[in-house]
Amino acid sequence: MKLVPLIGIEVAAFLLIIGETYLFFVAIVPLGPVPHSVAVYTAITLLKVGLTFGLGVLWLAVMVSLTRFYVRSRLRTRTPTSSS
Amino acid sequence: MQPSLADVGLLLLSFIMPLLLVVLAMPRFNQYLVKLGRVADDVHKDPPTKVPFPVGPLLFLGALAGEIFAYFAFGSLVPLAVIGGAAIAFAIGLADDLFVLGGKTKPLLLLFAAVPLVVSAVFQKDLYESNLTFPLLGHIGEHFTIYVLLVFIAFPVVADAFNMMDSFNGQISGFALLTSLALLFGVVLHAIADPSFSLARVASVLPLVAIAVGFFVFNRYPSKAFDGDSGALMIGAMFASLAITGGVEIAAMIAIVPAILNSFYTLSSARGFVERRRMAARPTRLGEDGKMYASLEPSSPNTLIRLILLSGPLDERDLVKSILILTVVACLLSGAISILTWVF
Repeated sequence: MKLVPLIGIEVAAFLLIIGETYLFFVAIVPLGPVPHSVAVYTAITLLKVGLTFGLGVLWLAVMVSLTRFYVRSRLRTRTPTSSS
Repeated sequence: MQPSLADVGLLLLSFIMPLLLVVLAMPRFNQYLVKLGRVADDVHKDPPTKVPFPVGPLLFLGALAGEIFAYFAFGSLVPLAVIGGAAIAFAIGLADDLFVLGGKTKPLLLLFAAVPLVVSAVFQKDLYESNLTFPLLGHIGEHFTIYVLLVFIAFPVVADAFNMMDSFNGQISGFALLTSLALLFGVVLHAIADPSFSLARVASVLPLVAIAVGFFVFNRYPSKAFDGDSGALMIGAMFASLAITGGVEIAAMIAIVPAILNSFYTLSSARGFVERRRMAARPTRLGEDGKMYASLEPSSPNTLIRLILLSGPLDERDLVKSILILTVVACLLSGAISILTWVF
């Protein structure tokens, strides 16, 4: 039972990995029409990089938030032991 | 794909040969390491015991024998590409075992482990497909450049993730065993679903499962052998190669979620690639009662182990059991992904 919260974090990581990978390949990589100018090409490339970065930040933010919440809740319930 | 009886026999030999090599040669190899003075302290015992280290070279020999056999049995470049990447990761790991490489040097060098796979694809066009197959949704189309880039990134990420799971008796061997079984399950389902899928891809996975089984016998609590970075990085590189050649990248990624989380926690709390021997604070400590305790130091890295121990102290055996339970959950999710991808 003690592992249930960590399994929850694991499942969240799993859902984010699969969802974000799909979004990356289906929505971000093929983004935009074939560019006819350097400016449009640069803008699309920057947009792709930005969106990819955004996906990474989203994963990190969710994982950090869940972990902080878990660590705080565990430390709150911890009682000092003779060995600690 | 309908394998003949001879194919089944060859597949069995791809599994049995490396397994026997590892299991039968390990006691002698351990004696040899002890004679050379190559032993490591098992720091989670009080007092620390001496364990032969590194047995990575023997694991590599087992994998080499299995993959070379698979190459001659099935005539595909897949086993050679797999063992090529594993050999580079093994060499990097062995250099680290003998001389200790920097925390940033290893991931950079591990980029080279992707080279055999990418170069072999020039000679065998169907070595891997530059696309991913998603559960229920199917193929997402060819993305050659971005896929090759991801192949190069995959090796240091996966190999280091495996290496970071190598802290306690039976942890890396149990993790490798469970994840390689999940990988094998995905590759077998892929082979059943796709008639053009070569049996060589299935045969290439079997040596990894075999060395993981053999190693687990000696590495489980109380450990009689430590693999060292040479073993952990090689196993990680093999896993990455096999996920790519087997076309089961998504399922493989899901199976190693505990290792991905562990790496993420370690890197984010150590603020970058820091060699674990140089970490300022340990995430856990051994209590006088022989149990492992989560370190309450604010500077301690937030590893997966520490998160587990925050629920209360555990002895080493129960701690590894907890890690392997998390791995089983990830492998079940991976199995579900494989079923949704290749059956429905």
